[in-house]
Amino acid sequence: MARLNLWRWGVFGLAGLYFLVPLAASVVFTVDVPGQGLTVDAYTQIVGTGGFGSSLLLSLELALATIAVVLLLMVPAMVALRLGAPKLRPVVEVVCSLPLVVPPIAFVAGIVTVLKWGPEHLSRTPLFQTFVAIQNPDFPVVLVLAYVVMALPFVYRALDAGLRAIDVPTLVEAARSCGASWPQALVQAVLPNLRGALLNASFLTLALVLGEFTVAQLLGFRPFAVWIVNVSGSQAQLSVAVSVMSLLVTWLLLLVLAGFGGRSRTTSRG
Amino acid sequence: MTATLPRVDTAPAAAVKRRRRSLGWVAVVPLLAFTAVAFGLPAWAVLDGAFTVKSTGAYSTANLTASWQGAYLTALLGSVKLSAVSAALATLLGLPLAQAVVTSRHRALREAVLTASGVLANFGGVPLAFAFVATLGNAGVLTRHLGLTDKGWDLYSFWGLVVVYLYFLIPLMVLTITPALEGLRVQWREAAQNNGATTAQYWLHVALPVLLPTLLGGFVLLFGSAFAAYATAAAIVGSSVPLITLQIADALSGNVLVGQENVALALSLDMVLVAGLVMAVYLPLQRRSARWLA
Amino acid sequence: MKTKENVATSNTTDKAATVEFRGLRREFGPTVALDGLDLTVRPGELVALLGPSGCGKTTALRMLAGFERPDSGEVLVDGEDVTRVPAHRRDAGMVFQSYSLFPHLDTVDNVAFGLRMRGVRTGERRARAAELLELVGLADKGGRYPHQLSGGQQQRVALARALALRPRVLLLDEPLSALDAKVRLTLREEIRRLQQELGITTLFVTHDQEEALSMADRVAVMHAGKLEQCAAPAELYGRPATAFVAEFVGTMSRIPGRVSDGVVDVLGQRLPVDGAAPQAGEVDVLVRPEAVRVAADADGKARVLATSFLGAAVRITVRLADGSEVKADLPAHEAADLVAGAPVSVSLPERPVLAAERTV
Repeated sequence: MARLNLWRWGVFGLAGLYFLVPLAASVVFTVDVPGQGLTVDAYTQIVGTGGFGSSLLLSLELALATIAVVLLLMVPAMVALRLGAPKLRPVVEVVCSLPLVVPPIAFVAGIVTVLKWGPEHLSRTPLFQTFVAIQNPDFPVVLVLAYVVMALPFVYRALDAGLRAIDVPTLVEAARSCGASWPQALVQAVLPNLRGALLNASFLTLALVLGEFTVAQLLGFRPFAVWIVNVSGSQAQLSVAVSVMSLLVTWLLLLVLAGFGGRSRTTSRG
Repeated sequence: MTATLPRVDTAPAAAVKRRRRSLGWVAVVPLLAFTAVAFGLPAWAVLDGAFTVKSTGAYSTANLTASWQGAYLTALLGSVKLSAVSAALATLLGLPLAQAVVTSRHRALREAVLTASGVLANFGGVPLAFAFVATLGNAGVLTRHLGLTDKGWDLYSFWGLVVVYLYFLIPLMVLTITPALEGLRVQWREAAQNNGATTAQYWLHVALPVLLPTLLGGFVLLFGSAFAAYATAAAIVGSSVPLITLQIADALSGNVLVGQENVALALSLDMVLVAGLVMAVYLPLQRRSARWLA
Repeated sequence: MKTKENVATSNTTDKAATVEFRGLRREFGPTVALDGLDLTVRPGELVALLGPSGCGKTTALRMLAGFERPDSGEVLVDGEDVTRVPAHRRDAGMVFQSYSLFPHLDTVDNVAFGLRMRGVRTGERRARAAELLELVGLADKGGRYPHQLSGGQQQRVALARALALRPRVLLLDEPLSALDAKVRLTLREEIRRLQQELGITTLFVTHDQEEALSMADRVAVMHAGKLEQCAAPAELYGRPATAFVAEFVGTMSRIPGRVSDGVVDVLGQRLPVDGAAPQAGEVDVLVRPEAVRVAADADGKARVLATSFLGAAVRITVRLADGSEVKADLPAHEAADLVAGAPVSVSLPERPVLAAERTV
């Protein structure tokens, strides 16, 4: 028994070393600047640095829009699949898994190509205006479209797990037999029981959008993750400080969420 | 009377069923329409562009052929090598960690490790890259204090990337294999002992074979995850290690010869094929282990 | 230790073993699972360990298999202390509650697993496995995997696997509890037949008294980590040694009575007390439903509370004048008039009765 524990603590010790040292070192890196001694400048500077506020705001706006769109698309579809139309279930499952087969970099390559069709083929049609509008740097709708697609697998899995735990047809029938209309049955009987799953799906989407770098950078937009990389060239301490904080914040959010809705284990593709 | 009864009963039921079915369509169509545009169009663009020669507009396999030659081939092989090495290491290192987590009696510790794994596996990317630059980069804390540069350490290299990739691949492995380890039934261990098996024989003849689909599936999943990673690599190595994702990004940003843009799409198609292969291997393995460990 | 030579020979065990538990004690934190268990199982005998959940019956079985260590006490097989022998060197085949088959091996390889661990050659162990599968009636299912088998078939394979190494003792840990009622009946008959054919000493853990009474040579009733009584089924039913056994096995009603000088006053009758009588005073007389006589009686002070039809008999619940309830089984034709609310009189046959201290 003692030997067994020794083995386990050895494993935990090594893992702890590997996973905690970079975090600790990052903190040291930001406060112990060569030539300046101990300083918390890197953290106090964050807010004042140009682009911090606007890029963070942009990321949050994108996240909210993505969450709204993906839930509006997915929740009715997933609930309807439970109520009827079982033949559509595999179709939706495949559609929601497809983004896993297309890595973000390949996906963005396709988007870049599609966006070029605008000026090349459609410049005389009203569609051209649409192409321009979705690429507005103040609020790039095209990013929302891309992020919704990239969030589909996560959201599908989160909602599927939530729906699996409740018997939707019975819930709806019970609500209907108590005199509720269809919309009332859905909003007042089904959705409250899905709260955990909705929260989980929203959080995953939020984390995805806040951390997303590939698509935004290659399309030339500047949300939070891109901003961190851009400032790293001139202010290394600052970018590391922001990175450490964003990691800790996501961690905290997930812990809170885990406390809320029981265990939430999520893997990117599992 | 008895003959008419069933008809009277089934008519409304059939109507309800029909209504439900049409409701299903109504609710699913927006989702399908959205993915057809937001996902279908870019996917089509990749496929179409990969087979189109930019200068002439004619269909050919020239781009694909080009994507398997020279620097592109080096990058493709570099990505495959990096992904395979880091996925294999993460599989080997993740298994004992997951086993330690599963057999731990401290619930809080288990929850903390699994939650932390969830964060690290999914949301690494840029922050992760900077954490490693701060730790093991040229001016990193450990590099300076331990004088690692003199000992030949270089974060901006193949093995440097492997060390960084393990940071999100090991947690991903832990998440993948933990349910399988939890699914190993106590009865199997006891039945094995009861049939005269020692602990080593139990692991060799029962536990590892039962876990094999999960381990292989996990490896393939990790491979796919490492293969698709771009942000971490871009933030750390720039282009000092040849990787396919970096090549595509270069091509998209116009850092290539004119007329070669569509090679980027061909490279993307290569990636999709690899990712598709990953899924094609992963799903049957996943199904088998689900059946064994349900 | 068995050798390779006798693997493929006949199935009967050379010599059945004696199993002895001596003063077994085991605590799990604050709960006492075993509180000094003593029990001897004779060679070739099937003993059922029966008791409510948490009575320690499974713990006792697992100690014999080597999965648990007693805090004190010892386990002996043929007089040899095996308490410290590790599980993989005990000579005891075990069938688990369920899901114990290795999912990655087919039926033959599951049965042959133990032989493989001992280094028996492939051909030899496959032959032995086929022989065992035939024994449990699954000769045609050799290539199937566990998930392709029904629950009953899986347990048959588990039984074959437990017998593969010719153990001196067979251990069954509630092997039927996860099965349908019908499968359970046929399988328990089959286990019994096999056990008698092989003449192997067997311990069978169950919480189902019907199972225990119908299969076992002797039934050991356990309660709170101790043995209450170990006796043949008929004796256990007819002459329970303790009030716990009396009420746990079969249905038992309590009728208030008063004891003096080994004679009890009950329902206006004076009946001798069976066995050791409690001290003089208020007691409960314990009676089986088939021993209670109920007759329609317009002047009777008892009332029928409820009747339930059991086929050949009708079980009648009667409330006595003092408020206590008694269950009685009557032939269906006699019970025709006894509807709920009917006044009746209740009496007992002129035979010695069991008396227990009054419980409130």
